[in-house]
Amino acid sequence: MRPVLSYVAAALPVDIALEEQFTTKAQQRHAAKFGMWCWLITELLLFGGLLLVATVLRVLHPASVSAAATHLKFWIGASNTVVLICSSLTMSGAINASRLGLQTLMVRCMLATGGLGSVFLLLKAYEYYRDYQEHMVPFLDWRPYALPHDHASRLFINDYFAATGLHGVHLITGIAILLVLTRQASRAGYLSLHQNRIEIFGLYWHFIDLVWIIVFPTLYLVNRG
Amino acid sequence: MSLSESLLHRDPAPGRGTIGRPPDYLHDEHTLRSWFFSIDHKRIGILYLLSITFFFVLGSIAAGLIRLSLVVPNGAIFSNDTYNKLFTIHGVVMVWFFLIPSIPTTFGNFLLPIMIGARDVAFPRLNRLSWYIFVCGALFTLFTIVVGGVDTGWTFYAPFSTTFSNTWVIPALLGVIVVGFSSILTGLNFVVTLHTMRAPGMTWFRLPIFCWTMYATSLIFLLATPVITIALLLLVLERAFGIGIFDPALGGDPVLFEHLFWFYSHPAVYIMVLPGMGVISEIVPAFAQKKLFGYRFVAYASLGLASLTFFVWGHHMFVNGQSEVASLSFSLLSFAVAVPSAVKVYNWTATIYKGSIKLDTPMLYAMGYIGLFVLGGLTGLFLATLAIDEHVHDTYFVVAHFHYIMVGGTALAFLGGLHYWWPKFTGRMYPEGWGRVSAFFIFIGFNTTFFPQFLLGYLGMPRRYHTYPPEFQLLNILSSAGSLILALGYIFPMIYLVWSLRYGKRAPANPWHARGLEWMTTSPPPKHNFETPPTVDFEPYDYRDRESRV
Repeated sequence: MRPVLSYVAAALPVDIALEEQFTTKAQQRHAAKFGMWCWLITELLLFGGLLLVATVLRVLHPASVSAAATHLKFWIGASNTVVLICSSLTMSGAINASRLGLQTLMVRCMLATGGLGSVFLLLKAYEYYRDYQEHMVPFLDWRPYALPHDHASRLFINDYFAATGLHGVHLITGIAILLVLTRQASRAGYLSLHQNRIEIFGLYWHFIDLVWIIVFPTLYLVNRG
Repeated sequence: MSLSESLLHRDPAPGRGTIGRPPDYLHDEHTLRSWFFSIDHKRIGILYLLSITFFFVLGSIAAGLIRLSLVVPNGAIFSNDTYNKLFTIHGVVMVWFFLIPSIPTTFGNFLLPIMIGARDVAFPRLNRLSWYIFVCGALFTLFTIVVGGVDTGWTFYAPFSTTFSNTWVIPALLGVIVVGFSSILTGLNFVVTLHTMRAPGMTWFRLPIFCWTMYATSLIFLLATPVITIALLLLVLERAFGIGIFDPALGGDPVLFEHLFWFYSHPAVYIMVLPGMGVISEIVPAFAQKKLFGYRFVAYASLGLASLTFFVWGHHMFVNGQSEVASLSFSLLSFAVAVPSAVKVYNWTATIYKGSIKLDTPMLYAMGYIGLFVLGGLTGLFLATLAIDEHVHDTYFVVAHFHYIMVGGTALAFLGGLHYWWPKFTGRMYPEGWGRVSAFFIFIGFNTTFFPQFLLGYLGMPRRYHTYPPEFQLLNILSSAGSLILALGYIFPMIYLVWSLRYGKRAPANPWHARGLEWMTTSPPPKHNFETPPTVDFEPYDYRDRESRV
């Protein structure tokens, strides 16, 4: 591994290119960041609908929801929480490196972030597979449901699939954007033209992490007792 | 000499030569490519204008067929299924493809950056993307109509939409979901533009009220649209894959869908109404040549409406078994909505008082708007009253009420704004005489169409029914006859506005002697809106000099 100082020596100028609709670069940076925050608020309400459904179901059918929730794979969910938090750490590493102009370090941090995101997806896929094995996939006609007499528990499991599926779609999108961005950002001179794109993407990535941190307790934790 | 001083008292002469001036946005480039791939907010606004006009025509044809069917009480003209599809298409198209995008995506896109003195919106490419997303959603909807339609009503209530309907529910839902993203992106763009792109000196309280209402509308776009996206997505999942949430056969709760649906769709009413209020707040001071009365109150009332509207969705569900406490709370909150609405109406009226009023076409529409909005708003109070709502719920009384707000409000404001800014959009004047005639036709036609529906509803005629007792026929025929007059009122502008593109008088920069940055640039504006970036050192609606002259 290269010593840290060699990264510092390789530091590049950090800036953004002014687009024609803006007057100053500070304005452009502010607008970009603000725009992403607005998008994240919208996304939060998108998940809010699903989390509300989970909460309503818990109030309407507490016993059924508990019975279903004990079938969720708590330890896989918990491990995934840790994985995503680590990926947020590497992403903020990438952001800080980009601010300092340390392109190589930044690219490595971004690759690590993508790797951790993929680990999450693999674990999630394994979890879905276990659900399938345990007959906990109520919407598949050919797979008899494990709790056939508990109709309301189906709703909760359906919501679990909808919420984690939607989160998975966000994560897949996030990884895809991350890979494209990493490819672009590894080119020479990128940081002097588009440094703030790393920051903007970072916000989105942290959001994916944050949503999981809300989804995990809402689905897995509070219903176990 | 500052910009405001140099421009305050003179209007550039009509037909002034273009030598030494950059070409305006219409003549900058001529290829189709330069339109369809343009990131200029003005061109995107025009693309939206054409798109929503198309959908307005489509929705109006469906409405015309509904009125045709209701001329006879026995429903002999269309089959029940066809009738169900007609009112569903009318609702879906008018709500999601005309009313919601109408003013924000056309006037908002075109005018918002100019009104705040910016070169463009904050994210021009995102703006273009939002139009393409709109078109994509539109294609789903057109597909639905072409292959056979959908019969759930625009509300898509479960479990009919998820389990029992045998029509094209999924493509219709996808169309609405997709077009929602277009709204979200437009709202996002406007919020960021208003926060970051204002010209030097353009403080928040120097913004025209139109910008305030765009801001309030955009907040609703951002905060409410995702909720209907997820609710409709769950419907799609339930219908397509059996991933049920709302199915009562599984212990699910169809009322939950109604909650999620109205959590968006009530605020959506304000997405439709607030921009109209913004347009009226521009027209009234210009044609009374008087400062807008109580500027801050009107601005705050917009935000007040945008906030209150998130807490009244339950008034759509008074008779579906929600608790009495919930109903009473929603009733009370719904009454509260009357306060900011009334603030606006009183302020417009006070602006007109002792103004030097010119009854040109935009002002005629504005006056019509105020009258119809008051009627629509007051009948809203009837519906917010629990006991009366029990009686008139799901009757034509409700239909008449929301058409007074949606058509009498939004559509009139849209047409008023279209005439008011037409010189700015196109560089041409519309024929004033025809404008007044069609405004008159619309006012008469609208009232003849929808006032009888208040009576029908009060007498007990339910909405969405194909047949009715013969004693209701007279009022129904009156309503259908009114819709013909209304249709004429819509057809006239479509003809003379297109005519004016070629034969209309050339418009000066400021034909109405109005205030605001959009009137300080040429008609039509150059590509980047201003020849020199403006600095704002004047208050909004600064009509004082003319007032003292009066």
